[in-house]
Amino acid sequence: MKLIYFLFLGIVVISCKKKDQPFVITYPEYFPSPVYQFIDNTPTKSRFELGRKLFYDPILSEDNTVSCATCHAQTHGFADHGVSFSQGVHGLLGNRNAPTVFNLLWSPYFNWDGGVNHLEIFSLAPITNPVEMNESIENVLLKLNNTKVYRDAFKFAYGTEEITDQLMYRAISIFLAVIVSDGSKYDDFRQGKVSFTDEENAGYQLFKNNCASCHSEPLFTNFSFQNNGLDSVFVDLGRARITQESSDIGKFKVPTLRNIELTYPYMHDGRFMTLNMVLNHYDSGIKHSPTLSSSLSQGIHFTSQERASLIAFLKTLTDYKLLDNAKFRE
Amino acid sequence: MKSIKISFFAIASIILLLTSCHKHKHEEDTVGTVKVSFSHVWGMNSATFSLNQDLVHPMNGETMNFTTFKYYVSNLELKKEDGTYWKHPESYFLVNLADPTTATLEMTNVPTGHYTGFRYTLGVDSLRNVSGAQTGALSTANGMFWSWNSGYIMIKAEGTSPASSSGNFAYHLGGYAGTNNVVTTNTIEFTDHLELTENASKTIKMSANPAKLFHSDAIANGSSIMMPGSRAKSMATNFYSGFTFLGLE
Repeated sequence: MKLIYFLFLGIVVISCKKKDQPFVITYPEYFPSPVYQFIDNTPTKSRFELGRKLFYDPILSEDNTVSCATCHAQTHGFADHGVSFSQGVHGLLGNRNAPTVFNLLWSPYFNWDGGVNHLEIFSLAPITNPVEMNESIENVLLKLNNTKVYRDAFKFAYGTEEITDQLMYRAISIFLAVIVSDGSKYDDFRQGKVSFTDEENAGYQLFKNNCASCHSEPLFTNFSFQNNGLDSVFVDLGRARITQESSDIGKFKVPTLRNIELTYPYMHDGRFMTLNMVLNHYDSGIKHSPTLSSSLSQGIHFTSQERASLIAFLKTLTDYKLLDNAKFRE
Repeated sequence: MKSIKISFFAIASIILLLTSCHKHKHEEDTVGTVKVSFSHVWGMNSATFSLNQDLVHPMNGETMNFTTFKYYVSNLELKKEDGTYWKHPESYFLVNLADPTTATLEMTNVPTGHYTGFRYTLGVDSLRNVSGAQTGALSTANGMFWSWNSGYIMIKAEGTSPASSSGNFAYHLGGYAGTNNVVTTNTIEFTDHLELTENASKTIKMSANPAKLFHSDAIANGSSIMMPGSRAKSMATNFYSGFTFLGLE
C-alpha cells in the first residue's frame, strides 16, 4: 500500500509538475506592499535565472554589443559606471543619466519622466531606443528563437515552444523584481542589529528634517515628480514630455537615495559628480521657475559640520550585500 | 490505524492525480463562427482605398500616398435576444492593410442562436494599456506600442505627400486616459437578426474610411503626430466615426 501511494505521488509529480523551484522574494517588514503583482508570472528559480541571462546578454542589442548590465552594473548599485550619459550601440550617448534598477518591485512607473507604466514593459524602451540598444523586438525574438539555449530555457521556465516578447519581458521582470536593496547599514539599524555613530545619527535627524518629505523612508523616494531648481530654461522638459502639462515642465521623478554613494554622477543629466556638489546646489544653486518645488524656494542650508553628518548618514544607505550578492552576477 | 492512514493518502493521491491533470470538460453548447470583415474606402463616394497609391483627399484637396495603415479593433461582442452580450474572449485584432487577411476578424466557438446586434471597440481598452506585457495582436513586436510613453498606437498611418515639407507623413494616434482618450465603443443593431446555426459561419460586413482622418485636418497642419494629444484625438475619433455597418452575409 505504501508503495502504491508513493507510485501515485510520483505519477502526480512527474505528470504535471516540472522540476522548477518556487522563488521567494524577501524584504523587510517596514517596506511597503509591492506594486508589481507577478500576475501570470509566478517567480521560479528557472524564470529568475532566465531573466538574469537576458539581463547580461548583449543579444538584446542591434549589433550584440550592449546588454542591460552595460549601463546597470551591480558593482555600481545597478547604475552606470560613473558617467553622466551612457554609451549605447555605435558609441552613441543617451541624454539622461542611467537610473538604478533595484527595488523596482515598488516602483509605480519607470524612467526619469515616469513615462513607462509597468515593470514588464520597462525593458522595451532601452532595447528599442536608437541611442541605447537600437534593436527591434521582432529581431530580438528572431535571435532568441534561433538560439537553442534560449528555446530550452524558455520551454523549461514557461512551458512554451515559441519565445514571445511577453515571456521575455516577464522573465526580465522577475530578475529585476528580485533585485532588492535592503542590506545597508541603515537597514541593520532599522532592524536593531547595529547602532549609528553619533555623526550618522546627527545626519539622520538632518535628513528627516530636510530631505525626507521627497526622499521618504524606507525606499528613499516618494515617487513624486519635482523640479529641484536645476534650471530655469529647460532643454529637457521632463515629466511634461509625457503629460504635456506646463505645470510639469522641468519636473523629474525623485530618485532613491539608497546606494547614492555609488551612483554618481547625480541628477537626470548627471551634472553633479559628488554629493558635496549636490548639497552646494541645494544651498546656493537653486534656480527659480514657475514649477520649482515649493519646499526648495529658500534652498536647504547646512553648516559644514552638518553637511559631513548628512553625508555620513547617506553612506549608511550603501548596500554592500547587494554588490556582493552572487545571485545577481552574470 | 497505520494502514487506514496509508489508504487515505492513496485515495487522496488518486483524487489528486485525477483532478490535477484532467481538464474539466464542459457540457458544450453547439457553436459556429462569426466573422467581421472590413472593407476600406476613400471618401464619401466610396472609391477603393489602397496602399501605395496616390489619393486626393475629397475635402482638403491634398494628395497623399499611404505606405502603412494599421489600426486596432477589440472587445467584439454579440447582442443576444435578451439584451445581454456574448463576449468574445481575448478579443484583440490588428488590422494591417498590407496584409488583407487581417481585415477579417474571426470569432470561433460562438454559441449558436439569434443575435440582434454587435458591439466593438476601436482602439485598445485602457486596461490593456496599463497591464504590462501582452501577446498576440497586442505584442510589442507589432511596433504598435510606445516604448517611452506607455500605451498603444491605436492607429498608425504613414506615407508620402507633397503637402508635407519633408515629403513624408506619420500619424501615430493613441491615448487611453483623460481628455486624450481616443478609445471608442460602437454599437450596431442588426435590421435582420444574425441567426447562427451549428458549425455555420456568418459575416458582419463593415466599411472604414481612412480619408476621415483628415475630416477636419490636413497634412499641411503638421505631418507628424507621435503621442497622444488633442490633434491625435480629433483625427482618431473622426476616423472612428466613419465605421459603417454594411450588412450580414
